[in-house]
Amino acid sequence: MRPENYEAQRHPPSNEFELNFGPNHPGIEGNYALKVKLHGDVVVEAKADGGYLHRGFEKLMEQRLWIQNIALVPRICVPDPSPMEVCYAVAVEELCGLEVPQRAQWLRVMQLELSRIAAHLFTFGGHAATTGMYSTMYWGVADRDLILDLFEEFTGGRVYSIYNIPGGVRRELPDGFLQRVSETLDYIESRLPDYDNLFFKNQVFVKRAKGTGVMSQEQALAWGVTGPNLRATGLAFDVRRDDPYLVYDQLDFEIPTEAHGDAWSRTLVRRLELVESIRILRQVVAALPDIAGPIRAPIPNPLAWNVPAGEVYTRVESSKGELCYFVVSDGGPKPYRVHVRGPSSMHAVQVLEKMSVGSRIEDIAQTMFSLDACPPEVDR
Amino acid sequence: MSSIKQIPVITERKGNPLARVFDEFVRFCRSRSLFILHYCTGCGAIELPPAMTSRFDMERLGIQPMVSPRQADILLITGYVSIKTLKRVILTYEQMGSPKYVIGICSCTVNGGMYWQSYATAKKLDEYMPVDLYIAGCMPRPEAVLAGLQKLMDRIHSGEANSWEDYFRNYDYYLGNQQKLFGENWQTPTDIITEAKHYDLIGEGTLGKHTQLLEQHQKPLEALDMRLGHDLKEPTE
Ligand code: SF4
Repeated sequence: MRPENYEAQRHPPSNEFELNFGPNHPGIEGNYALKVKLHGDVVVEAKADGGYLHRGFEKLMEQRLWIQNIALVPRICVPDPSPMEVCYAVAVEELCGLEVPQRAQWLRVMQLELSRIAAHLFTFGGHAATTGMYSTMYWGVADRDLILDLFEEFTGGRVYSIYNIPGGVRRELPDGFLQRVSETLDYIESRLPDYDNLFFKNQVFVKRAKGTGVMSQEQALAWGVTGPNLRATGLAFDVRRDDPYLVYDQLDFEIPTEAHGDAWSRTLVRRLELVESIRILRQVVAALPDIAGPIRAPIPNPLAWNVPAGEVYTRVESSKGELCYFVVSDGGPKPYRVHVRGPSSMHAVQVLEKMSVGSRIEDIAQTMFSLDACPPEVDR
Repeated sequence: MSSIKQIPVITERKGNPLARVFDEFVRFCRSRSLFILHYCTGCGAIELPPAMTSRFDMERLGIQPMVSPRQADILLITGYVSIKTLKRVILTYEQMGSPKYVIGICSCTVNGGMYWQSYATAKKLDEYMPVDLYIAGCMPRPEAVLAGLQKLMDRIHSGEANSWEDYFRNYDYYLGNQQKLFGENWQTPTDIITEAKHYDLIGEGTLGKHTQLLEQHQKPLEALDMRLGHDLKEPTE
């Protein structure tokens, strides 16, 4: 209902019109918006409009103890929270010079890879829904739930596990857990051909995704693109292999790449990464029984823990790309400054703005989901 | 708003047994076909896809997602609301047709949750709009979401879920809190007072000093300036 005195404002005649896309829109990932200028249904200009999910993380972290921040960091990226914890824990360990026991490192790898599979399945679901293929969404979400069940048993939380603390991990594996991980992996692997037939080879998807949102390798490097989106332009760069952390240097896996840099290549890289993650997890499951020892290094009283002064930059490969933390300590009980360099802020702001130009309005959702941007991490 | 016919909505029909049966039947039907508009304001939204799809399947309760506020019955607020989002949430809420219900999922909507000291989030949702039901938890599991929805269905059936009337009856209070946050000349394109008259829900708290302020500031609404490169003109500025 509008007030009686409402009068619409007249604009000068023009062939272009502007459209607010989001924040509450099925074609947008999460709470995020784009303002697009259209000519017919072709996008002339796009402008990202974020900040709907801003919570001021970097400021909040300065006001909490080192150990309290562990509960805060997973909230930065909701679909893939585990790399956040691990990256922060590794940063604190480097500041204190803590030696993390081998077993804890293997357990962290298991957590990271399970989380990667869950995040990729979720992305496929969302991406398929933008092309109208809801069955894939139903399947993807249901299969992701199997991994969340594992998480629940393993860490106590379905989505936010809060499993790491600086110095190691919080708990030992439950009995028979590795067996259940193997069974779930077998099941997901047996489902992959079904996914291929339903989604990845489906002409509805292939025709729409091929040639949508193209970027070249030079552009990707100039825009700060990382992760599967960079690998889809043909560059095999992966922090897990090129700057190994935890025990990734002892594991055997490939870095899948694709050449075209379009939405189809990006999705295909993720699909191939699923296979690699399953392969890594199988190695972890085989190795874990032989690695005995403690699961965490002794730390001082966490409520009165003064971390030595210094600064550190750590990075891990999350399912969205390269995730980095820059942590400064002034020797006090709380961090002096924490900066999060998330992959999505590049993908959802600069890249999406540039790649939408020239595409049709209905392909914006396709581009956004194929970039796999995560709005809570853009806004933080 | 004189074009709308002033039809009083009769809610109490004690005398006529047939009317009671009819009301009961209407409430039953209403509680069995609910469309939700989930505004993904925060992290709690990640538990909605499992709740909606094959594993937990809220469709068996007759509940389905809906994409536009005009056709929706339930507004799900899934997590912390930052101040920028809260403006959109209020706009969305006011656009929904009555009867409408609000569910606050997550502890963050109850009291600020993890972000109790954040400068960017609104802490208590029920200061800005009436909330029918809270589902606490950080984040609540899909089972909890479904249990909450079932509870709401029961309340609709028994006629207790009337918080939408509260927004009309106590509009001054809600508007006051909104003005505190967004500035004195905050105004939405919806005319709540006329709507309250239409539903015959003018209460003691509908008009007050905040709604007077609204009248003072009320100027002909301009179409929002949405040229690229310009931010939306926020009423706070
Ligand atoms: S209660 Fe927890 S899960 Fe829910 S919005 Fe707040 S921080 Fe996120």
